[in-house]
Amino acid sequence: METNREPLEQADYILEVKNLKKYFPIKGGFLNGPVGYVKAVDDISFAIKRGTTMGLVGESGCGKSTAGRTILRLLEKTDGQVLFDGQEVFSFNRKEMQEIRTKMQIIFQDPYSSLSPRLPVGEIIGEAVREHNIVKKEQFDEYITKIMNDCGLQEYHKDRYPHEFSGGQRQRICIARALALNPEFIVCDEPVSALDVSIQAQIINLLKELQEKFGLTYLFISHDLSVVEHISDTVGVMYLGGMVEIGNTKDIFSNPLHPYTKALFSAIPIPDPDAQINRIILEGSIPSPANPPSGCKFHTRCSECMEICKSEIPQVKDMGDGHIVACHLYNDK
Amino acid sequence: MSDNLKNEELNEYVSASTALDDEQRVKVLSPGMLVAKRFIRNKLAMIGLVILIFMFIFSFVGGQISPYGEAEVFRTTEVVLKDYAGATYSDEYLYTEQEGLKLPSAAISQFILAVNKKQDTFEAKGIQYSLIEEGQDFYRISGVSEIGKALTLRGISSYTETLEGSLTDTIKAGYEAAVKDGLSEFEVDGIVYLITKIGKENSIGTVQDIALATKRIFNTYANDTTLTYQFKFATLKAIEEDVKNFDVNGITYTITEGENDTATISTADGVNFASVSKLVVRPMSNDVFLSVDFKTLVENAIINGEKSIVYVDENGEENEYTITNKDKQYTIRRLQETVVNALYSEPSKEHFLGTDGNGMDILTRLMYGGRISLLIGFIAIGIEIFIGVILGGLAGYFGKWIDTAIMRLVDVFNCIPSMPLYIILGAVMDYYRLAPQTRIYLLCVILGLLSWPGIARMVRGQILSLREQEFMTAAEATGISVYRRIFKHLVPNVIPQLIVVATMGLGDIILVEATLSFLGLGVKYPFASWGNIINAVNDVYVMTNYLFVWIPAGMLILLTVLGFNFVGDGLRDAFDPKMKR
Repeated sequence: METNREPLEQADYILEVKNLKKYFPIKGGFLNGPVGYVKAVDDISFAIKRGTTMGLVGESGCGKSTAGRTILRLLEKTDGQVLFDGQEVFSFNRKEMQEIRTKMQIIFQDPYSSLSPRLPVGEIIGEAVREHNIVKKEQFDEYITKIMNDCGLQEYHKDRYPHEFSGGQRQRICIARALALNPEFIVCDEPVSALDVSIQAQIINLLKELQEKFGLTYLFISHDLSVVEHISDTVGVMYLGGMVEIGNTKDIFSNPLHPYTKALFSAIPIPDPDAQINRIILEGSIPSPANPPSGCKFHTRCSECMEICKSEIPQVKDMGDGHIVACHLYNDK
Repeated sequence: MSDNLKNEELNEYVSASTALDDEQRVKVLSPGMLVAKRFIRNKLAMIGLVILIFMFIFSFVGGQISPYGEAEVFRTTEVVLKDYAGATYSDEYLYTEQEGLKLPSAAISQFILAVNKKQDTFEAKGIQYSLIEEGQDFYRISGVSEIGKALTLRGISSYTETLEGSLTDTIKAGYEAAVKDGLSEFEVDGIVYLITKIGKENSIGTVQDIALATKRIFNTYANDTTLTYQFKFATLKAIEEDVKNFDVNGITYTITEGENDTATISTADGVNFASVSKLVVRPMSNDVFLSVDFKTLVENAIINGEKSIVYVDENGEENEYTITNKDKQYTIRRLQETVVNALYSEPSKEHFLGTDGNGMDILTRLMYGGRISLLIGFIAIGIEIFIGVILGGLAGYFGKWIDTAIMRLVDVFNCIPSMPLYIILGAVMDYYRLAPQTRIYLLCVILGLLSWPGIARMVRGQILSLREQEFMTAAEATGISVYRRIFKHLVPNVIPQLIVVATMGLGDIILVEATLSFLGLGVKYPFASWGNIINAVNDVYVMTNYLFVWIPAGMLILLTVLGFNFVGDGLRDAFDPKMKR
């Protein structure tokens, strides 16, 4: 925010994603070979500075989660680059990957299915700690207790099973599990979507606290724009596998450029009964990522669609101050 | 002021009671405790569990408590009619030879022919015999007894003596005179000598009584008495001539005629010496000596047409004998106390459930049988689970071609008709005459090897769905190794279903084992199994008359399988997270 995007300061960016693509093959036919691809993530690029939070927003099915998981190499990429601390994540072998996994963690959306029902909480949190020898054996218990306390859990929760906890507490367990490995970067894959609003605030505040305490970097995936506005330093907007707009939170929310971003942000409810609601209603539904529209992927639903949009893929344009948009309406500043 | 205070108190109270403090929460049970609680609440499952506990105590502790062994055969004394002696009318001639003389068998057959043809001479092996009818069915057979040989050529004779000095000069003179006159016999000192031409030689012999033939039977009172030719001849002669007394070798004997052609011969001092009859009474076994008294008793009974007799033997034991007649063959049977295997004995104090067709205690065999049946079940299910979990786990976790290969193998195993295969394998084991112990182990292996596909399929399905759960992705994201991911995250989640399937499978295995043992292909004698106990019931008679043999075993199988199924159902319900309570 304070500084302009400076490509020279490489080390400042903990994560750089360059032209990342992730296609899922659609199998079929006689030999069960691929007959097509679902382009879940199609050529996205962005970078996250150390200690900041990047929000990733978009409708359901636009590839936010896939992008998050591909970055962590939970899915193999199709093309592009993911540089973590300047190193290509996909170049590591199995052993190196096991080591690097402690540096980058993920918090899942559903705190119910992301905890093994047959392990006590202490084991869930401590298992990977032991696996990676993060602390000495003597300090193990103490360490787990400390992590749990940091995440708002009590020591006596250790021997309990996940089903004994409420959703918020479970999400705290998930956070503790991620945090226990002492990571630098955490992908938060819609961590509050499954929680009710009061708990959402608790979790968001916990995440912010932890970020300050440990200097964490977040990739915060959500479709909840108000949450993203609250937590993020920068925001990326995705539509149908592609990145349509990236910019500082303030810029994006005050001055959205891309028609899709505009439509998306117009859906944020304003807590003022007198406020004039000026919603842009998008027509139609999101096209299939297996067969995306030609040209600008958004042109089928865009209110400002031009002829060029139907045939040419819009280039990324820098509108200044790191505000990047991919739309034919704008030209480079 | 007071209102404010009240409000504050209320607020404090409310915030204290509604705070999400863990101390305030209801204690939640661990998954295991929850399952146990649900299980205990299930009545049917508890019934099943009680049945199973009973079965285990019955089988594994019962065998230790039971005073009897697994293959201990019980014996009992039983009064049975046992063949003791046989009696028949003698219609064959019995021959008694003179001391030192021999009646060849060729002569005997010629004798019978001669009697039938009513001839009074016969020839056998070149020797002339004559038979003299002394009485009814009583013949004296006399023949030429050679005392020497002579070779006479042109009136000059050379002699060969059978015994030293048997040919005296007077005999030689007589012989030469006879040869000269062309006679075939001559007499010297009142003894008639016969000349028989054998080839070039002449045989000189005396006519002698060789043997007597009679259909009457002589019995002696003392076991070691041998009756001589002279005695028998004199006795028979006396009977024929109705003489009461006769002398043999200077001893005077007295004949007392009994009924029906029987006679008792006693010495002068009144001691019974021998008896004569037409009935032959012989013991059935060699170690029995029948006294003349007994024989006489039997003879009288047979002649009088009596069906049973009572005889007091020399030891004073009174025994009852029955006589049955079949084609003039009389069988004397004694009611005798005999030690026999206690076959199919009714339930009693000693044997609560009676004994089986081998005379073994059924209750004890049920205990040992249960042990084997349950053990086979457990070992087989163990093998089944071992193979099933490994193959199913591999297929489920790794998927792709490994999955395809293993699942096709499962399909192949599912296509094998198990019963014919069991029968063939049972026959193969029979062919190699395997020890019963080895058979049991092999049976476990066979049952386990043939029934793993169900478990493999179940495990694969479970793992397939668990693998996609987010906690598996989380485990991968935290960099946990594949080995730990499988055995700490996947397998514990499969175990509940595995327990259910294994419990149900145990019942099936026990049924299959019982079926095989019933068909004689499984566990073999002397080892007991519930199946082969029922195997005893292979005919209608046993089935209808000895209910105590098969009903308990059948009930045990039924109850055990039922118990396993109840417990399995109960476990399934208890493990089912959708089941509330």
